[in-house]
Amino acid sequence: MSVLASTRRRLRELRPSTVLATLALLSVSAVVLLPIAIIVFTAFKPAGEVNAFPPSLMPDTWTLDNLQEVTSELPFLRLIGNSFLFAGGVTVFALVFDSLAAYALARIDFAGRKVLLIAIIATLMIPFQATLIPLYQLVADLGWVNTYTGLIAPRAADAFGIFFLRQFFLALPRDIDAAARMDGAGEFRVFRSIVLPNAMPALLTLGLFTFVNNWNDLLWPLVFTTDAEMGTITSGLTLLTGPSGIVPHGVMMAGSLVAIVPLVVAFLFVQRRFIENIATTGIK
Amino acid sequence: MTRLRILTGVGATLALLAAGCSSGGDDGGPVELTFWHGYSEADGDVLEGIVDDFNASHDDITIDTELKTWDSIDDTLLTALSAGEGPGLVAMPAERLPVYAAKGAFASLDDFYADEASNTANLVPGAAAMEEVEGEKFGVPSGFVPLAVYYNTALFEAGGVSAFPQTWDEWVAASKQLTVDEDGDGTPEQYGVVLPDHATVANGLWPSLFYGNGGDIVDGEDAVIDSPENAETLEFWSDAIAADQISPTGVDGIGADELFSGGKAAMTVGGPWMASIAEENGIDYAIAPIPAGPAEQAASAIGVSMAVTVDTSSAEQAAAEEFLSFFLSEENSVKWSLGSGWPPLRTDVPAEAVAENPVVASLTEIAETGRPLLPGVVNSVDVLSAIDELTQKAVAGEDVDTLLGEAQAEIQAALDD
Amino acid sequence: MSADHPPVRRYRPPAPLGGRRRATGSPTGRGVKAFLFLAPALIILGLFVVWPMISALRLSFTDASGFGREEWVGLENYVTVFTDPDILSAVTNTALYTLLFTPTAVIAALGLALLLNSPHMPFRSFFRTALFVPFVVSFAVAAFAWSYLIDPQVGLLNYWLRGAGIQMGNVLEDPGLAMPAVALVAVWKLFGFYFVIFLAGLQDIPSSLYEAARIDGAGPWSRLRHVTLPLLSNTMAFVLVFATIAALQAFDQIYVMTGGGPYGHTQTVVMEIYESGFKKLDIGFASALSYVLLVATLILSLVQFVFFGRKEKDMA
Repeated sequence: MSVLASTRRRLRELRPSTVLATLALLSVSAVVLLPIAIIVFTAFKPAGEVNAFPPSLMPDTWTLDNLQEVTSELPFLRLIGNSFLFAGGVTVFALVFDSLAAYALARIDFAGRKVLLIAIIATLMIPFQATLIPLYQLVADLGWVNTYTGLIAPRAADAFGIFFLRQFFLALPRDIDAAARMDGAGEFRVFRSIVLPNAMPALLTLGLFTFVNNWNDLLWPLVFTTDAEMGTITSGLTLLTGPSGIVPHGVMMAGSLVAIVPLVVAFLFVQRRFIENIATTGIK
Repeated sequence: MTRLRILTGVGATLALLAAGCSSGGDDGGPVELTFWHGYSEADGDVLEGIVDDFNASHDDITIDTELKTWDSIDDTLLTALSAGEGPGLVAMPAERLPVYAAKGAFASLDDFYADEASNTANLVPGAAAMEEVEGEKFGVPSGFVPLAVYYNTALFEAGGVSAFPQTWDEWVAASKQLTVDEDGDGTPEQYGVVLPDHATVANGLWPSLFYGNGGDIVDGEDAVIDSPENAETLEFWSDAIAADQISPTGVDGIGADELFSGGKAAMTVGGPWMASIAEENGIDYAIAPIPAGPAEQAASAIGVSMAVTVDTSSAEQAAAEEFLSFFLSEENSVKWSLGSGWPPLRTDVPAEAVAENPVVASLTEIAETGRPLLPGVVNSVDVLSAIDELTQKAVAGEDVDTLLGEAQAEIQAALDD
Repeated sequence: MSADHPPVRRYRPPAPLGGRRRATGSPTGRGVKAFLFLAPALIILGLFVVWPMISALRLSFTDASGFGREEWVGLENYVTVFTDPDILSAVTNTALYTLLFTPTAVIAALGLALLLNSPHMPFRSFFRTALFVPFVVSFAVAAFAWSYLIDPQVGLLNYWLRGAGIQMGNVLEDPGLAMPAVALVAVWKLFGFYFVIFLAGLQDIPSSLYEAARIDGAGPWSRLRHVTLPLLSNTMAFVLVFATIAALQAFDQIYVMTGGGPYGHTQTVVMEIYESGFKKLDIGFASALSYVLLVATLILSLVQFVFFGRKEKDMA
């Protein structure tokens, strides 16, 4: 009842510009969500309907055939598990290492930090395709081919994360650590018990970005894991390609759905804190 | 050598030293060999069967197959080779073999071919030609099939076409008859034929048409695409497509397969996989050779090659060759052909041996019209993209003579590279 | 801020919080501490990013194929980069892609962030979530879904637009439309990410500044121009730099959707790098091209920081 009443009150308070903006946002959201909808619905379309004309969004008959084909053609539980290990492992290490480095760059005054920062950012500017072969040679020399260590270690710190967190740490008021310093806390204790707790929203945001980007990464797991059992769900999806490069749409969409669902679940899990707390990530 | 570079280059040496050496040696004992391939359908199961038979009959050799997609074999093979982690054996689209061979990725198989026990003496000549780079053999064919027309028999019946066309003119006429534009909006709902103008199968279709009129693309070291024959071919087909709308334009090979499998094109040009695609989509089909051009009946062939990489010890190389000759034995040739739907790779396999599979039987009849695509051409990437550009623009109505001149220059540059 | 904006002249950006920490301890002591914090990340980056970059730099002066023998060829690869007409066309294509992608993505993200920053907006959480969802979809899947939607034969979007009288045709095979199409897919996939960063920047602007501007009689437009945008300039620089890097490295969706076609019209520099490296096995040339791209990106990024970033001491 109170929900209805408050909704009514809010509706009455709506200005025409707000209504217009809401309608605009609704249409933008509809366009933005259309490809998601097509993935979800096509995953349940029988083969005959996928290329039917006229096309329709929803299946006429719903089928689980596509999902069954994905689960029978791919060791998909294993692949999803690998994806969790890879993306999750990278995220944990990167958050730790990036935040340590960002702390030094933001809050310790040392010679050459600006140059160092530019150098770190510059590492983002070479296309991955260019360093892939030397990187693979290195990991192979370390004896890490087809191991989780080899998959994760090269991503255990990254320039974007360092830069992102540095911006946040810069924005934290400088007084917050004064009391702790007065008590004789060292740099690491300030980092661990003052700066990090205040940085939770930023860490959450960066964690989500890192997780999503690595979950979705194709080239590195594809090239790195010559053993299908070590691949991720994203690299595994390529195996759904048929002879002569034909990808059966229904099956591919079902595979995509399988790959996206864990991400969306993970996202909804942190969504509340993420979307509300983004307030204070401090990139400014 | 890489290890040395790292040691001199990076400070963190201790960890690296501790990581130590990995790759195994040559010290007798059973040989393990990895075999990468992209056979993912029924053909994959047959291949696994042949590998299992081989492993069972060879106590000292174990072959592990690793399924990839044909596309990703390129990405992974290069990186793996760069670190000495390559597979022992690899199968790849035949036009990809020369570039690897030229860069030294594969072991020469000249001695293997010279050995009578290799079962290579009776290979289909076109198939064997795919494996030669600068006079040296670097691979063994695992597939060689001329492009053929796959046609929808139900649509043929409905359109009143009773005999499959034998010449280009008949082909165009039949296609016209099978093109349906019911609502008259200028966009047919059903096309007589789908002639892709770029990528995948298009890379074989247009060369087939060029051959049919007596033209060619590359002759030894020279680009020969700019010829009056080829100009005639391009004009003939772009006119037929533009004037009579017998085929959609701007379609690639994959799009062509989809139109055919959706029942929206009565004919398509493709390989044996079309048979399974048609079956999956409930389309009654038959197979016929590409109708003869004014000069001859010819078709570009799709090929797959297997090669032995340089990441092998001499024992592993011997084991790989052992497998290749096992694969090419008469018995396995028949088994492979029946299971994969590709015609036998040996000329001495009698037609009745493969008669039980009608697809193979019809493809075997036309096998000798097949010509390998760009055999021995190292930079096939640029040659094929020049052909793509040529056919796409020609179909879109641009001036054929100018286009041929440009393609000639680009292809020659690619050959001189 | 210049004198012709009187209403908000007095609202200077707040001093960079914590920008310059009080220096404690000796310079050497701070250097050692900083190094200890930086060490893990620097070891990882040094080993797995910088070292491969150095290797690539060395390879760029060779005819390496990635395996087997390689020979020193001096500047030959770089000469080819600057003389090959294919590379020139890839550079033009990349520039076009960057011009299509970067402003569209950044403006869309900023506009939506401004709208959804307003507390009056109904369904805020829903919209914020909806707009961010594409970011969790991989480029390969995004490309695949969009190709299917705009397929000339069975594409749903194509069909609906035709119903509305708009003939879209075969977009991905149209030399004029293919590039806008692949750029739009990137906008779709990435704008939610920039949107979230803008939201964060917006919510960091103290509401007291808006109150003060309102009391001074500044309308919404003036508040946007004189409070919001200036205070958002560092966020803008951050987003622009990363959007530009993303644009200059465009590859994934192009590889899936057009493969560089129709006849080279979507062939970007990174597509060219991939093709020379992984298809023609010319790693030396691919490395040289990568370094030219690196230098161009670096210059462009520095220019962006200088133009859009607030000129604070702590901004790189």
